[in-house]
Amino acid sequence: MKTTAASLAALAFALSFGTAMPAHAGKKDNSIRLAANQVPESLDAYFNNVRIGVILAHHIWDHLVSRDPKTNEYKPSLATAWRWVDNQTLEFDLRKGVRFHNGEPFDADDVVYTLNFVSKPENKSTTQQNVNWIAEAVKVDAYKVRIKTKKPFPAALEYLAGPVVIYPNEYYAKVGPKGMSEKPVGSGPYKVVEHQPGRLIRLQRNAEFFKESPRTQPSVERLELRLIPDQNTQMAELMAGGLDWIYNVAPDQARQMKAVPSLEVTSGETMRIVWLTMATRDGSPVPQFKDIRVRKAINHAIDRQAMLKTVVGDTARVLHTQCFPGQFGCTDQGAARYEYNPAKAKALLAEAGYPNGFEVDLYAYRERPQTEAMIGYLRAVGIRANLRFMQYAAMRDALREGKAGFAHQTWGSFSVNDLSASTPVYFKFEADDVTRDQKVRELLDAGDNSVNPSVRQVAYRNALVQIAEQAYTVPLYSLPVYYAYTKDLRFTPYPDEIPRFWEVRWK
Amino acid sequence: MFQFLIRRAGLALLVALTVSLVCFLLVNLSTDVATAMAGEGATAEAIDTIRKQYGLDRPLAVQYVEWLGRALRGDFGDSLYFRTSVSALVAERMPVTLALGAAAILFALVLSVPLGVVAALRPGSWIDRLTLTIAVVGQAMPSFWFALLLMFFFGVTLGLLPISGSDTWLHFVLPAIALGYYATPAIMRLTRSGMLEVLGSDYIRTARAKGLRAPSVLFKHALRNALAPVVALAAVQLGFMLGGSVVIETVFALHGLGYLAWESIAHNDFPVVQAIVLLISLFYIVLTLLADLANAWLDPRIRIA
Amino acid sequence: MAAVSSEIQVLHVPTPGEQLRRRAFEHTGVTLGAGVLLAILVLALAAPLLAPYDPYAQDLSRRLIPPIWHDTGTWTHPLGTDMLGRDYLSRLIYGSRISLLIGFSVMLISGLIGSLLGISAGYFGGRVDLFVTYLTTVRLSMPVILVALTTVALIGSSLLVVILVLGLLKWDRFAVVLRSATQQVRNLDYVTAARAIGCPAWRIVLGEVFPNVANHLIVVATLEMGSAILLEAALSFLGLGVQPPAPSWGLMISEAKGYMFFSPWLIALPGAALFALVLCINMLGDGVRDVTSPEGRNG
Repeated sequence: MKTTAASLAALAFALSFGTAMPAHAGKKDNSIRLAANQVPESLDAYFNNVRIGVILAHHIWDHLVSRDPKTNEYKPSLATAWRWVDNQTLEFDLRKGVRFHNGEPFDADDVVYTLNFVSKPENKSTTQQNVNWIAEAVKVDAYKVRIKTKKPFPAALEYLAGPVVIYPNEYYAKVGPKGMSEKPVGSGPYKVVEHQPGRLIRLQRNAEFFKESPRTQPSVERLELRLIPDQNTQMAELMAGGLDWIYNVAPDQARQMKAVPSLEVTSGETMRIVWLTMATRDGSPVPQFKDIRVRKAINHAIDRQAMLKTVVGDTARVLHTQCFPGQFGCTDQGAARYEYNPAKAKALLAEAGYPNGFEVDLYAYRERPQTEAMIGYLRAVGIRANLRFMQYAAMRDALREGKAGFAHQTWGSFSVNDLSASTPVYFKFEADDVTRDQKVRELLDAGDNSVNPSVRQVAYRNALVQIAEQAYTVPLYSLPVYYAYTKDLRFTPYPDEIPRFWEVRWK
Repeated sequence: MFQFLIRRAGLALLVALTVSLVCFLLVNLSTDVATAMAGEGATAEAIDTIRKQYGLDRPLAVQYVEWLGRALRGDFGDSLYFRTSVSALVAERMPVTLALGAAAILFALVLSVPLGVVAALRPGSWIDRLTLTIAVVGQAMPSFWFALLLMFFFGVTLGLLPISGSDTWLHFVLPAIALGYYATPAIMRLTRSGMLEVLGSDYIRTARAKGLRAPSVLFKHALRNALAPVVALAAVQLGFMLGGSVVIETVFALHGLGYLAWESIAHNDFPVVQAIVLLISLFYIVLTLLADLANAWLDPRIRIA
Repeated sequence: MAAVSSEIQVLHVPTPGEQLRRRAFEHTGVTLGAGVLLAILVLALAAPLLAPYDPYAQDLSRRLIPPIWHDTGTWTHPLGTDMLGRDYLSRLIYGSRISLLIGFSVMLISGLIGSLLGISAGYFGGRVDLFVTYLTTVRLSMPVILVALTTVALIGSSLLVVILVLGLLKWDRFAVVLRSATQQVRNLDYVTAARAIGCPAWRIVLGEVFPNVANHLIVVATLEMGSAILLEAALSFLGLGVQPPAPSWGLMISEAKGYMFFSPWLIALPGAALFALVLCINMLGDGVRDVTSPEGRNG
């Protein structure tokens, strides 16, 4: 098999290099052409919640503080210094001399306007959990602001270093979210020069990117992001030289593309966690999930280790609790573990009154081969799962409206390295909570709103233990991501799933 | 002729109206529009407000008339996903699909008309059998499979043609072949049978008897008569292609109407879906109307029938 | 000896039915098409006996094994295994059931609707004809794949939904062809005579018209069956056809598309199976057309 793959690819390459078509023209004009299989509905960072939107936001805009992806230290970015004035007030000294892409100078008004606009529920930001901790932002003077939180919110800096970006106030007040999507203006290392919605985004290096930024000064002149829905088409383009960089390559294809001499394939674990959601709240479309034995049976039915080695990719790890192990507060100490044991799963199902299993709709939106592997495992213990594969937004709405009760879920925490960005989203009685356990909610609240790190850790651990004890979910694994790109690119992946093109160089 | 024109145009208008009704009902009967418009996690009051604000609490018939009225002025409302006007979105994507359709029908005609003519001149020959094979094979292959094979061979292995996108006319070559191939069997068959019929008719035999040279008979007289129905068929096929380009547009990452429709279906973005289905249906209706009128112009028998 | 027998043949004047049968058996398209179709039908019916494994049984430790003709192939899985370690031969055998089921059911539903409309339009003419023509035009002007995609997306995808949606959409060709065929038959002498002596319409249609348009019906039915199978494959490609883990050929192709560059047999095998099925159905249809109207080949 290996030999066939290699010889086929070698043949393809021998032939394609023999022609006049220049491979990877991007190197010549110092640009990178990349592809994604989905594009954000809006480029406004507060009005989309897809990964590529998060990635673009990091290129177009800037943050008050910046987290070093290697050391996880916070470094000055748009703010030069900061301090907690009290439990619920953060004060920032702002940098002078920074300008937005449209020439507007950066000052306190930008911070105040942006934060107050996006945190108001009536402005309907799509990413509520990223901003709803903000009570208000207050201008102290032209280069000093205070951010007040609704409750003590120790993870505030993490959010300000990730999903919370700063907009130019005059421009945003004039054009609003719609205009910000059509023609985004920020102060980041790249500026948008062309945006064809749902199709193409062209970015140009920001020559005036402020030199004091902790981020590397950008080197690549232009980035061109195209929407190419079909993975095969992306791979074909990459092999033929029409693209320089693709990501989210399936592990099987990634392994095979390693055999192609002109390509580099790298992978890394990401903060994205994968699990099976089982709706247990009242009105769940799958009443069987009310029985803890059924939930435990499903936990025992799936061989996560085998999936990791095959359809998932082995740069990831098996999870036992509902969070990413690198996040502050995440642990699996003391939590129940459910080993792979189909016989036990069958016995539990029989005990619960389903000796012949039952039929259920399993919703999913990405990594379909993984879903299908899980369907296979469930089938082996008698649960006949029908796949309902759809776009993320459609699946999320089905879960929220109670139409779906069983889903193959993933969550990237918006790359926020703190547990408050993951577990609470699904367990604090908000739209995405399909469990509604009062005890879990109280524990998570205690963890979210304490300023004492050890208090937080204990509260979070107890919440995670309770979730595992009740088998509310099937925690599966962290998701590895595979990048494939031309060998001439110098590219480093980071676990926060954000490729940093300002660091990328042509060799 | 005038009466025929009126009758035919009347039918087209009636069909167009019915199609618009179907488009409207397809969506309004199967989803709750207000909930979808309110968006994720909206409260019951918010949904109610939207229902009143957009008049969604009125009888369907009233809503339909209003929707149609706005549609006639080119206003299909806003896309729920892209949050821009549907008309602008559709107008932006339309040229790609039109170019693809035109290129595909051109390819189909260039391939199938000569083959059909040659097959008719030499019935039973190897070339006749070849055309038959092309026709039968063409109808039996899944289009996306054929498209991927084309892409792999011409795009990756030979590196001759661009694989995806719509930047230059070269980008349309592979998609046009993949899409146009499916129209060739029908066109080839019609050309062949039309030619056979014309070649066997009295006036061709007379022309031959008068001593006119073969090519002149063939091109001046026979082909012109045989091609009239082919043109009509090509118009119909073009209509089908505009509606059937979803798969090809997805494979080659051409951002035309087909791909937009598929994307919008996946996002529950029904105003866009409605607009596209209606638009493609209208294209078909207009194309067939024109083809019928052209045919009637060429062949007086139809007008009376 | 040879001379005598040929003389006997000349003496024996074959009935039209005998002529038809002989032409059918001599026609390669009909024999080959019917033969392969029959073989696939047997495969589908006897799937539980023929398939070496449970088509749903997955084994992640035995995935992507190539077929026997590759260096690393093994007789345990003659056609290899797929990305989840399921036996490919068993899935292909079971897959024939779904493809045939879709083809037949869609053909039956659309055939019933289309013939009913087409024959009544052709037989009764006048207002009925106008109405059917109008319905057909409406149907033709709506893009099949987009309407099917929208409907399936709105009500959820399952085998039954796919069959119903395609069946309700694909009756147009039946209506068009049977309408014109019936118009021709209607004016035949014996039909006019039957009408004159006051025979009820349903008896004329069943007794006289139907047998005369049946050959057209068969031709359209085969073509539509093939096209329904391909449409399901296209829906599966777009993720809205038959849902996993069902082993439909269309679904198998779309699942294997990610492997086409490096494990090409995964897409080639179901692709070839689908191709062979649709090809032989179409050959059968073309053959029936030739045999029943030899003068109008390709017409």
